Amino acid sequence: MSELLWQALQQVQGYVYPNEIEVNWSILIVFYPYITGLVAGAFIVASLERVFKVEAVKPTYRLALLTALAFLLAAPLPLVAHLGHPERALEIMFTPHLSSAMAGFGFVYAWYLLIVLLLEIGYDYRKDVVKWARTKRGLKGFLYRLLTMGDYDISKEALKKDEKLVGIITVIGLPSAAFLHGYVGFIFGSVKANPWWSSPLMPIIFLFSAMVSGIALVLLIYMASTKLRGKKLDMKCTDTLAGYLLYTYVLDLSLEFMEIAHLVYVQEEGIDAILTLINDRLFLSFIVIQIFLGTIVPIFLLVMAKTGLFRATIRKIFYIFAALLAMIGVLAMRWNVVIGGQMLSKSFRGFSTYILPIFGIEGLLTAVAIFILPFVLLFIFVKVLPPWEEPPIWESTEHQAVEGNGEG
Amino acid sequence: MRKIHVRVAMVYIVIAIIFLIVRSFIVPPSFGEYGWYRGDSVSEIMNLSVKHAGSYSCSNCHQTEYKAWTTGKHSTVNCESCHGPLKYHVDDPGGSKVEVNATREFCGLCHNENPSRPEGFPQINLESHGNGFTCVTCHNPHYPWFD
Amino acid sequence: MKSTRREFIKNFGKIIPVVFFGLSFKKFIETVSAKENASTHHPGGDYDWNQHYYAFVVDSTKCIGCGRCVVACKEENDVPKEPFYFRTWVERYVWLNGEEEVKVDSPNGGFNGFPVIYDEKEIRKSYYVPKLCNQCDRPPCVQVCPVGATYKTNDGVVLVDEKYCIGCRYCIQACPYGARYLYPKHGEREPRRNTADKCTWCYHRITKGLKPACVEVCPVGARKFGDLKNPDDEINRILDENRVDVLKPEAGTRPKVFYLGIDGAEVR
Ligand code: HEC
Ligand code: HEC
Ligand code: HEC
Ligand code: HEC
Repeated sequence: MSELLWQALQQVQGYVYPNEIEVNWSILIVFYPYITGLVAGAFIVASLERVFKVEAVKPTYRLALLTALAFLLAAPLPLVAHLGHPERALEIMFTPHLSSAMAGFGFVYAWYLLIVLLLEIGYDYRKDVVKWARTKRGLKGFLYRLLTMGDYDISKEALKKDEKLVGIITVIGLPSAAFLHGYVGFIFGSVKANPWWSSPLMPIIFLFSAMVSGIALVLLIYMASTKLRGKKLDMKCTDTLAGYLLYTYVLDLSLEFMEIAHLVYVQEEGIDAILTLINDRLFLSFIVIQIFLGTIVPIFLLVMAKTGLFRATIRKIFYIFAALLAMIGVLAMRWNVVIGGQMLSKSFRGFSTYILPIFGIEGLLTAVAIFILPFVLLFIFVKVLPPWEEPPIWESTEHQAVEGNGEG
Repeated sequence: MRKIHVRVAMVYIVIAIIFLIVRSFIVPPSFGEYGWYRGDSVSEIMNLSVKHAGSYSCSNCHQTEYKAWTTGKHSTVNCESCHGPLKYHVDDPGGSKVEVNATREFCGLCHNENPSRPEGFPQINLESHGNGFTCVTCHNPHYPWFD
Repeated sequence: MKSTRREFIKNFGKIIPVVFFGLSFKKFIETVSAKENASTHHPGGDYDWNQHYYAFVVDSTKCIGCGRCVVACKEENDVPKEPFYFRTWVERYVWLNGEEEVKVDSPNGGFNGFPVIYDEKEIRKSYYVPKLCNQCDRPPCVQVCPVGATYKTNDGVVLVDEKYCIGCRYCIQACPYGARYLYPKHGEREPRRNTADKCTWCYHRITKGLKPACVEVCPVGARKFGDLKNPDDEINRILDENRVDVLKPEAGTRPKVFYLGIDGAEVR
């Protein structure tokens, strides 16, 4: 650690306050808003079907919910791992200091996990869980019986009530998801000391980039899972999702543009430093990756796909690239906010350098491991609570999936 | 009320109760005594050890230096600016030895010519002044001026 | 039988949360309203923190950049000696002939003094500016601390509770002056490791009637510390007779470190 600081000291450009040589929020804090963003985005995809009655995306509904859950469970990990005293982490819930944007985290998180996601998933899956609880044996059967909580009532009436309840939860969940992530944006947006962060637009920008990454993630997971299961891709669903990806992208881009335009136009103190930051220090990650590769190119691909000039197979390739680039672009956006903001000295006279360690608790490997974890969790969830429309393979040995809503 | 709702509610209530019980054990008793913080921490910080004793505390034992110092040009310069924090020495003068830095560089910290310094401050050219002898051969650090 | 059990569960389910949330709410209210009775009692024996309110004056026209304050501060407060951790530091501002932009540097925070890097003739104007925590009246660091580990005392000093800080470093980000740092893992003072640390105006000294270490060792009186509530304190005279600047007034933090003789637009 100290070693890296000596290196960073050599690479200081201009003047930074001596305490600013250490970049305090590391790669882990880059991943934290990234992961919560994916949660919020995935949940919003799920609510498309429930709240906005977009029937076409139905095949992704449960998948999106499970994705949101898997990522939500991983979301606090980078934060806790990053703390100087992880063993004191629960203080944030025991004595939350209400004027702090960060203090809400525990409660927003608990609310979202316990009241929104778990309940929505629980009630949505109730019918299947009860069925499985009746038919399965062994450990799995026990698990399902536990999940029923002893209520095996799946009469038509009960199911209808469940359905209604899930509808209500989703309606609550939508603003909650927006809040969960907008609030992460507020953590940065409210730091008046840092002109690169301080902006009332920050929560909204975070929210829209979260939606971009979340939709892209669900799209990718959906395409990959159909492929893995040897099923045919529901092209209507894919096209619709891609459509939504495009719309949020356009909004995201215009918000980002407004933010930069405002910064550049009002020319407040520190603008020169910000321009240097963008044009020099963050050129690769901001201009090249976030704006060009991560925004312009995918928007172009999605618009191309929308023109109707291309066959499904080509469109699929477009979507895969667009979604992958979206994921990378949004990660770059988080990097540019978190790391970029700290590179800029609060003296506005220089820049510190972040040297990314590979090993160690705040290293690249930890971050990657934390990012892989939700995929593992998702895999387990999918095994336990199959989200597919048709009955899972292990239930009916030779089941013919109804095909037909896919297109040729 | 359906069974499932009651059970779910019970689970959450149990979680909430456990949370509150754990909370009451973990939050320090003095938390909130004066505001949204642990009241005891104020007195803990007040009781941290003092390391600089102040010039006056040297007066009893080092009378020569002290007397010279109070009337000399260095009287604005605290003993511990040059000798470092010496509370431990005042408490136990026989203890670990007090290091004295009498190098030219040390006096130069304050007196080397530097255009950023206020004009009126007495500055010398560290390279040439005094022909390279240590400063204390000609100046008494406790009474640096001759008049 | 069945219905009574149900009734019971129903009522139980209602009563329990009401009771518990009621209790915790009461505790919450107590904690919040504690602020009021704080004015009547105080920590720490003879010292009454309601009788004092401190301020600090930095006279930049006197500072000679010797860095003794930086050394004394690090010694007094167990601040690690590496050049990344400072409770106080000294900056040098240099305007060169024919150049508009001011050049600022602070090699090792001024710990080893300042080497001569420009010739007298090249320089239009130059001076030193000591920096330390401004103990803001509206401290953004206190505002953002999620757990209440940093707080403002009644005598106006912002402190960090090293036993309670979780090390999230939000306060470090929120401080417009770069006055905070994370006490490193290898730091001398064990309980403080991995928590945020900052200047306390030597709270352990000032509550005993001593001056902060940096003020104590300053050879030229560039650092002045005093009690605004004590009319005989020279700090009141200095503040009355001079026009003073604070750093980054636009941040709305209301600093209590006042500067004499700086170019307010350039020094930040
Ligand atoms: C209680 C009496 C006492 C007080 C108070 C005291 N000293 Fe000393 N000091 C001594 C004695 C006795 C010695 C000689 C110890 C030795 O030689 O080991 C000494 C030695 C020293 C030396 C080293 C002399 C050498 O030749 O190495 C220095 C420097 C010094 N003191 C500075 C100070 C300063 C500065 C203070 C005030 C902060 C101070 N002392 C306060 C008793 C005292
Ligand atoms: C400007 C820096 C400076 C200040 C201020 C200063 N000293 Fe010294 N002191 C020195 C130096 C340098 C020496 C070593 C002299 C030598 O080697 O001849 C020294 C030596 C001493 C010694 C050892 C004397 C000896 O002959 O070995 C004592 C005791 C001492 N100082 C006490 C004090 C006390 C007490 C004060 C405050 C009243 C004080 N000093 C203030 C720089 C200083
Ligand atoms: C911590 C800073 C500091 C150190 C170290 C220091 N001095 Fe000084 N010195 C001063 C101050 C302050 C004055 C008083 C200047 C004034 O009166 O304006 C002074 C005054 C003097 C003067 C009188 C100059 C005059 O024209 O009035 C001499 C000579 C002197 N010092 C010599 C020394 C020597 C020799 C040493 C090394 C042992 C030394 N100083 C170390 C701060 C220091
Ligand atoms: C050879 C003896 C000698 C030595 C060694 C010496 N000085 Fe001097 N110093 C003098 C004399 C004589 C004067 C007065 C005449 C002058 O201004 O040159 C003086 C003057 C000064 C002054 C006052 C200058 C002014 O403009 O008012 C300072 C400050 C000073 N010396 C500091 C030092 C420092 C620091 C050192 C060690 C680096 C040192 N001296 C070494 C003899 C010496």
